[in-house]
Amino acid sequence: MSLAAGPGRGGGASAAQLPDELQLVVDKHVAYIQSLDTRRDELEYHLTEHLRISGIYWGLTALHLLGQPEALPREGLLDFVFSCLHENGGFGAAPGHDPHMLYTCSSVQILAMTDGFSDLEKRLPNGKMKIAKYIASLQQPNGTFAGDVWGETDSRFLFCGFLALSLLGMLPNQRPNEPPIIDLTAATDHIKACQNFDGAFGVAPGAESHSGQVYTCIGALTLAGELDSYLGEEGKDRLGAWLSERQLPSGGLNGRPEKLVDVCYSWWVMTSMAMIDRVHWIDQKKLTSFILQCQDPDHGGLADRPGDMVDVFHTCFGIAGLSLLRYPGLVEVDPAYCMPKPLVDNFLGRK
Amino acid sequence: MASHGVPRVSGAPDKSHQAREKERKQIEQYKDLERNVVEKIKAKDFSNTTLQLTGALLKQNPEYYTIWNYRRMILDDVFQKELDANKDAAQAEEGDAAAAEKAGLTLAQQEIVLLIKEDLQFLLPLLKQFPKCYWIWNHRLWLLTTATKHVPSHITLELWKGELGLVSKMLSLDSRNFHGWNYRRTTIQYLEDLSGKSMVEPEFEYTTKMIQSNLSNFSAWHNRGQLIPRLLTERQAGADERKKLLDDEFELITRALYTDPYDQSLWFYHQYLMSALDSHNPRGPSILASVSNGDRLEYLDREIDSIRDMLDGAEDCKYIYQALLDYSTRYLEVDAGNKKITTTEMKDWLDELRKIDPLREGRWNDLAGKLKL
Repeated sequence: MSLAAGPGRGGGASAAQLPDELQLVVDKHVAYIQSLDTRRDELEYHLTEHLRISGIYWGLTALHLLGQPEALPREGLLDFVFSCLHENGGFGAAPGHDPHMLYTCSSVQILAMTDGFSDLEKRLPNGKMKIAKYIASLQQPNGTFAGDVWGETDSRFLFCGFLALSLLGMLPNQRPNEPPIIDLTAATDHIKACQNFDGAFGVAPGAESHSGQVYTCIGALTLAGELDSYLGEEGKDRLGAWLSERQLPSGGLNGRPEKLVDVCYSWWVMTSMAMIDRVHWIDQKKLTSFILQCQDPDHGGLADRPGDMVDVFHTCFGIAGLSLLRYPGLVEVDPAYCMPKPLVDNFLGRK
Repeated sequence: MASHGVPRVSGAPDKSHQAREKERKQIEQYKDLERNVVEKIKAKDFSNTTLQLTGALLKQNPEYYTIWNYRRMILDDVFQKELDANKDAAQAEEGDAAAAEKAGLTLAQQEIVLLIKEDLQFLLPLLKQFPKCYWIWNHRLWLLTTATKHVPSHITLELWKGELGLVSKMLSLDSRNFHGWNYRRTTIQYLEDLSGKSMVEPEFEYTTKMIQSNLSNFSAWHNRGQLIPRLLTERQAGADERKKLLDDEFELITRALYTDPYDQSLWFYHQYLMSALDSHNPRGPSILASVSNGDRLEYLDREIDSIRDMLDGAEDCKYIYQALLDYSTRYLEVDAGNKKITTTEMKDWLDELRKIDPLREGRWNDLAGKLKL
């Protein structure tokens, strides 16, 4: 069981030909995601194997939000996820690929969405702890996390570590009576050092503010339970102002000042705004329309911009964006986890 | 990772038999090459042949991170063997030994430097073709940090100098590439550590040059802002010199804003300078020696007047109203009883803002509530 993360087939109307009243072509998106695994006759399928497990996470999340969580067979998903698991508790992107934080996070998210942790325990006794220890082993002396044993650091990896640990129930704030497996304070201190005067965050201390990094840093502070106390209303206003300026006249959002709009920023920017209660600071109707224009109305899937090739990455984050925008018929998405909110609530025992 | 900016072909016909056959062959070749590499690594064949094969595969697919890991495993193994061999000069070719001695290196170190330089060369065309690929930048950084571990600092220093040249070239091709800017900051840090000399002045100059060639380069403005506090410390600047620098920066950004008041990048740099005077912003830089309320009023007074003048001919520019509202609010916080700012005027600005920037209507509503306008 595997999914291509590559572009979809060409075709479909250009943006100019689309009718005024745009609709989400739910059935076509479902069919597009289901079709991804059948495309082994395309070179792109093979060239994207290095992110296969994330491709499955993107596809599965989109299906859950579209209300079709069963559209991919559960057994096949679990078999594939376990085929990526290494002895050290980390997951690679596909069988034979090296373990990495990004793919470990995607795997844990898939296990959560398929209710697969009991299956994990059957295949690998004490599996949850083994995965958690792998993640913890990547924390660096300055609090941040490496992506793998080769040592590249990035606030993305820190957030992925937090997210996966949280789903495993292994964050120190989730188990106050156990010895902590990571240094939470060092990690959140590092995130705070990544913040700039504009209220937004960069990939490392001193780096330029970037919407993707805002999401990972705000998400990590949310999971650590420190978001409100750290930012306060003034900090939220400052960050919210920077984020709201990402919206351009087309309705789409960009990632940094004076850059192009892109559907994936519908997610990174808007979900950060959701976590600080500022989504109403942008024009939600125009953004909805922009995302819908990025659909391939004939063959399903979403692209970065209207008229471009679709792929499962933009399909996931476009649909997640629409869910945050309360598009009718979609399951609500959880802003920090980018997973269906009812499932995350249930999973974490939140009310 | 995902396709960005690739046009969707409208109504593309299905692939011809010939095209499908060609694609099938490409897939077969790619999978054969991949299988070959994986088998050799499994057999711990860390030979030059395997290294070349990883290179061929990475040229086809630079996102294949596991193959980059294999490449590093091979190089690590070769480096270790060189160091373990402990070759003495007598066994080596005379020419090699002399060259190494002249460079102040052991033979093993000379081999390592050679291999690292070769791999840096291998990366060049890949980096130019895929300037946003994380794994290529990452591998480059690994080569440089590995060199730092194994060879003396005078050699590593030369390698890092080469990196500074490379990253300057990359940034001249795409001046907003954040991989490039991050790599530049890392390079500078290593150069400073290895040479014991600060590079804050030439780096500051570099941002001036970048801004002059393109005002709308927030990445350059950002880096400039990062350098200023350190620059002042290293100049051991007193209160007057600090004020002079802040004033010069305001003059620079004001001139730029007159050129294009519709450019967000410029307004963010203006905000950055103003945040140095804002006691409410914990991430504002330290520029002045100390900031009194008198200083705050002086700068707010001057900037509000200057920005108000910008309205002439740019009445539809939302950033001007935003700045006027922001800085007026701060002015009122410091001096509530002043006659400079009137509520009526602030209300007018907010009304203009609602008119010309309806996208952010919710934000302006919240602001109206907060300012009680």
